[in-house]
Amino acid sequence: MEPTPLQTGAMPLPRPRNWLVESILVTIFCCLPFGIAGIVFASQVNAKYDVGDYQGAQRASRDARRWTLIGLAVGGGWVVIILLFVLASSIFMIPTPFWH
Amino acid sequence: MRKTDIILSGSPTLKIVLTAVALAAMGGLFFVFDPLKAGFFPRCPFNMLTGLYCPGCGTQRAIHALVHGHLLQAAGYNLLSVLALPLVGYSAVAFAGSHLWGLPLRQDIFYRPWFAKGILGTVLLFWVLRNLPFPCFQWMAP
Repeated sequence: MEPTPLQTGAMPLPRPRNWLVESILVTIFCCLPFGIAGIVFASQVNAKYDVGDYQGAQRASRDARRWTLIGLAVGGGWVVIILLFVLASSIFMIPTPFWH
Repeated sequence: MRKTDIILSGSPTLKIVLTAVALAAMGGLFFVFDPLKAGFFPRCPFNMLTGLYCPGCGTQRAIHALVHGHLLQAAGYNLLSVLALPLVGYSAVAFAGSHLWGLPLRQDIFYRPWFAKGILGTVLLFWVLRNLPFPCFQWMAP
């Protein structure tokens, strides 16, 4: 069954951002599943908007945005942690535990 | 409006300039340093925890190969990042071109449901295949 488009006057709500490109970047550059969650919601934004479910599309857009930003934050935090470890190990002359 | 919205919805020109500066800095960093030799490039946390490869494993080595012009070597480290390059590149050029010079570059393709689903399928397939122990899939592992 197709959801009934929301009647919000003459014009439908504008197509929300789907964060697809940003999610792809997070997937390739951060090694965690957050980017993939972002891609899942990005595809929901498109699908829901096209059947007239504008509110659902906006919810999916918010979720896509959330997961993309979480992935970005976790990835950035990971880089900072590694750099601190490298800095500490070079100060105390011990090898970093991360490299083969 | 949330705090991140204020940053994210900032002026397009500022975004373009910041992105260009960040790209140049990262490109320089990956040109000068080799992730295989320099000790400060972060290793993938998923790989550290599980021993498996994630869809992004090998991207840093791929970027190093790319900025030195070795396209095939880059694809050997991470095929996905090389395939994503034209997509992400087009999106960036379309964003900058339409905002700075009013060029009629549209990003409609990213809003087609089949396109996003195709990306999702490709990423998941790549994730599985590069971890399979069969020789025919070895070239996908970083």
